[in-house]
Amino acid sequence: MATYLEFIQQNEERDGVRFSWNVWPSSRLEATRMVVPLGCLFTPLKERPDLPPVQYEPVLCTRPTCKAVLNPLCQVDYRAKLWACNFCFQRNQFPPTYAGISEVNQPAELMPQFSTIEYIVQRGPQTPLVFLYVVDTCLEEEDLQALKESLQMSLSLLPPDALVGLITFGRMVQVHELSCDGISKSYVFRGTKDLTAKQIQDMLGLSKAAAPAQQGRPLQPQEQPFLSSRFLQPVHKIDMNLTDLLGELQRDPWPVPQGKRPLRSTGVALSIAVGLLEGTLPNTGARIMLFTGGPPTQGPGMVVGDELKTPIRSWHDIEKDNARFMKKATKHYEALANRTAANGHCIDIYACALDQTGLLEMKCCSNLTGGEIVIGDSFNTSLFKQTFQRVFTKDPNGSFKMAFGANLDVKTSRELKVSGTIGPCVSLNVNGPCVSENELGVGGTSQWKICALDPTTTLGIYFEVVNQHNAPIPQGGRGAVQFVTQYQHSTTQKRIRVTTVARNWADAQSQIQHIEAAFDQEAAAVLMARLGVYRAETEEGPDVLRWLDRQLIRLCQKFGQYNKDDPSSFRLSDSFSLYPQFMFHLRRSPFLQVFNNSPDESSYYRHHFARQDLTQSLIMIQPILYSYSFYGPPEPVLLDSSSILADRILLMDTFFQIVIYLGETIAQWRNAGYHDMPEYENFKQLLQAPLDDAQEILQSRFPMPRYINTEHGGSQARFLLSKVNPSQTHNNLYNWGQESGAPILTDDVSLQVFMDHLKKLAVSTAS
Amino acid sequence: MAELYVKPGNQERGWNDPPQFSYGLQTQSGAGKRTLLNKRVPAQLQGPVPAPVSQSLPSSTPPNMLPVCPPSTVGAPPLGIGVLPPRSDAIRKTCKETEPECDVCIKDVLSPLQQTLEICRDSVTKQVFNEISRRLTMLEDMWNSGKLSASVRKRMSVLARELQGQNWDSADEIHRSLMVDHVNEVSQWMVGVKRLIAEARNLPEAALLRTNQGSGDSTNSTLKHEN
Repeated sequence: MATYLEFIQQNEERDGVRFSWNVWPSSRLEATRMVVPLGCLFTPLKERPDLPPVQYEPVLCTRPTCKAVLNPLCQVDYRAKLWACNFCFQRNQFPPTYAGISEVNQPAELMPQFSTIEYIVQRGPQTPLVFLYVVDTCLEEEDLQALKESLQMSLSLLPPDALVGLITFGRMVQVHELSCDGISKSYVFRGTKDLTAKQIQDMLGLSKAAAPAQQGRPLQPQEQPFLSSRFLQPVHKIDMNLTDLLGELQRDPWPVPQGKRPLRSTGVALSIAVGLLEGTLPNTGARIMLFTGGPPTQGPGMVVGDELKTPIRSWHDIEKDNARFMKKATKHYEALANRTAANGHCIDIYACALDQTGLLEMKCCSNLTGGEIVIGDSFNTSLFKQTFQRVFTKDPNGSFKMAFGANLDVKTSRELKVSGTIGPCVSLNVNGPCVSENELGVGGTSQWKICALDPTTTLGIYFEVVNQHNAPIPQGGRGAVQFVTQYQHSTTQKRIRVTTVARNWADAQSQIQHIEAAFDQEAAAVLMARLGVYRAETEEGPDVLRWLDRQLIRLCQKFGQYNKDDPSSFRLSDSFSLYPQFMFHLRRSPFLQVFNNSPDESSYYRHHFARQDLTQSLIMIQPILYSYSFYGPPEPVLLDSSSILADRILLMDTFFQIVIYLGETIAQWRNAGYHDMPEYENFKQLLQAPLDDAQEILQSRFPMPRYINTEHGGSQARFLLSKVNPSQTHNNLYNWGQESGAPILTDDVSLQVFMDHLKKLAVSTAS
Repeated sequence: MAELYVKPGNQERGWNDPPQFSYGLQTQSGAGKRTLLNKRVPAQLQGPVPAPVSQSLPSSTPPNMLPVCPPSTVGAPPLGIGVLPPRSDAIRKTCKETEPECDVCIKDVLSPLQQTLEICRDSVTKQVFNEISRRLTMLEDMWNSGKLSASVRKRMSVLARELQGQNWDSADEIHRSLMVDHVNEVSQWMVGVKRLIAEARNLPEAALLRTNQGSGDSTNSTLKHEN
């Protein structure tokens, strides 16, 4: 049999699923004793180039409360043309189109290799994708120019039939009418007064067009875009005029007195954008893309006043309850985010400025709708330009890697219930037999809405084992979960992806070693981290750390091998070997520590942590460190100060930053120009190798990371030094031989001290 | 066809701004996958972290001594051919944006575009026709006043030939690569070329056939030349 590592990897590649436990404890009591909850990281639209979608509708279980999709785990009676649902055991008749099935003539969805299958179904009219640009004009000339060019460029990357619209804002908000006759017209709104969706639609003259629909006349497909045709036009019709319109955009004309911030009506601009789409194109794939270069300073949603002498809120202000506008602004954006989610649209935020831009207040707009958040220093940077280009990346079939309006339905075996999810989604409040009373993340439902997602968007989904203690191991010996994701593909097709997975039950008293061996420490670390970060949004930082510590100690008590009260006897098996260090680095990460980060930065880091797949999430928890030397191919090394050696080059990937660090000797050799001498070709290669590897990461990562090239003693070496485990500090430097790493000037606890305490607490009889 | 290069980011406006990849590099990524750097080493539970054994290299400078005259204070790196496997040279060779030798004549670019526009005259509105021709004039002006880089001029000549050869996808792809790589030079007029490609693509074949006889299609030689 394959090892669990291979099993885990195969399952991730095929189904986009990573479970914390791959053999499940068979009772509620035993499951709670496992400390790490049963859960999974699920990537609904995991890229499967080898999986051609089928062109028919899925077959559903007829029990109204179940409606599970026919799958390879169902028992089939080929002679009677019946199938038994593996979730509710209902016996179902096959539809007439399945009359020809037999053991040798199976539909794809019954074959074991189709545990994940995708159906193309057509229901209702197709509407093109919608992109509504909301552009801040209170920018410096250079930034505005760069942004205009990026927007013009995007018109070449959009699908020709996509609808595009433009709203600009500064002190006022302008909704631009897009017409082909070359006369530009716009509707101007004051930035200080919020408007309801109805008011916005009345003022834009959209209500009249919406009237026929209310009278019950069914809409014709081609009629829908017509409703908003003045503000949203197909790219292929207005690309020339829109290019000119963008080219002619000027900075906000209102004078900004000395010592003041420009008046920026972000709150109203977003509100109008949401209202415009709400009234005209609900429940179709649409992105509201906000480009902003500073904080909202007036009207609803303002985050800071216009006096420059009053700085924008910091963590310190928030702790002291001294952030005047925060609650009100957050409320404004949350209301908008919820409306957007209900409409099935998403909001992306591109915030480029050196100071904060109010992301803390606005983050919900993207977090609840599946939109992107990108922060940069300026629109005239490669970081922004390339990140923006990558939004329009295509897959090998030539379709955009973006999907819309997904509805994720989770179905479980009877012994299992779903507690909640953490990810870029909102609850659809569908209670049913699969829903647990104990919530983890967004719970109380078995369905969630993800308004926008891409092939890497990943949800953390948490389960609860509800089988009673001493009850026999459930029928069939396996528990199952089915994920049904209905979504709008970027080609505007309606598709349904169905993934059905099963895992063995085991009696935790007699078969604990099976459960232990099937522990996926990487998935567990990310699932626990998502819980921790989710808590950190509402709880005090130290409380979250204490909670994580307690869980870790309990896990070590449960699965460590040790003699009571003898820390030196403590051992963990291979399947747990990395878990404690993941927790160590997580504690130090910017997801839980706000020190040295602004509230905006923390919001940004947490936004990405709650949506990336397992590999990327793990890089965020414990950055990757590779060492390049003359002695062999690049090798992974401990994220530890002892890995910083004079004759090595290090490459560190933290997801948000790529750092290349030349050791002291390497830097001296480089400065002496050895790499230019033909006889030292090998040195030249050594210098080049990490650059090439970094380039490959930079070429595919979204969003584009910052790129730091530094060396021993360089000021930017701090990016490396702040991430490595400080095993050598100024306090214990002399315990170490020379040349065995780089001491870090810090009072932070090292992994060694952390582990010593952990072992002591784990083996202690007192705790 | 598309150029493969990397140019440095804008360090003045963004700290540690990453390098900028050309459209060609961006779209080809995902092809030759590197060895994934995603491995980790477990820290030892017992005892202090063992420092990796530093093999004896002639690096003898104490950390706080300044390397004044470089090669003599520090030993030289080991000689020889590298132990590292040679990397994909494809990218490295193209690391610099090569300014291609270019003596493309504006006429060779503009006349195919104008011809195509002429063919489209009947199928587009007068306004669109004027808009496109206005942009072609803009292109001509910028070209003549030397405002277009060699790379843009060269790729435009290829685009013109592809258009003439009715290779719409290819022409469209070149337009896209120019928009991504050189947006500041081309954004104002390229949209006219884009529309022209789209309009020509929609023409009934008969309309195009009429003109092709005259222009002596040279697609094949074009492609060969490009490779």
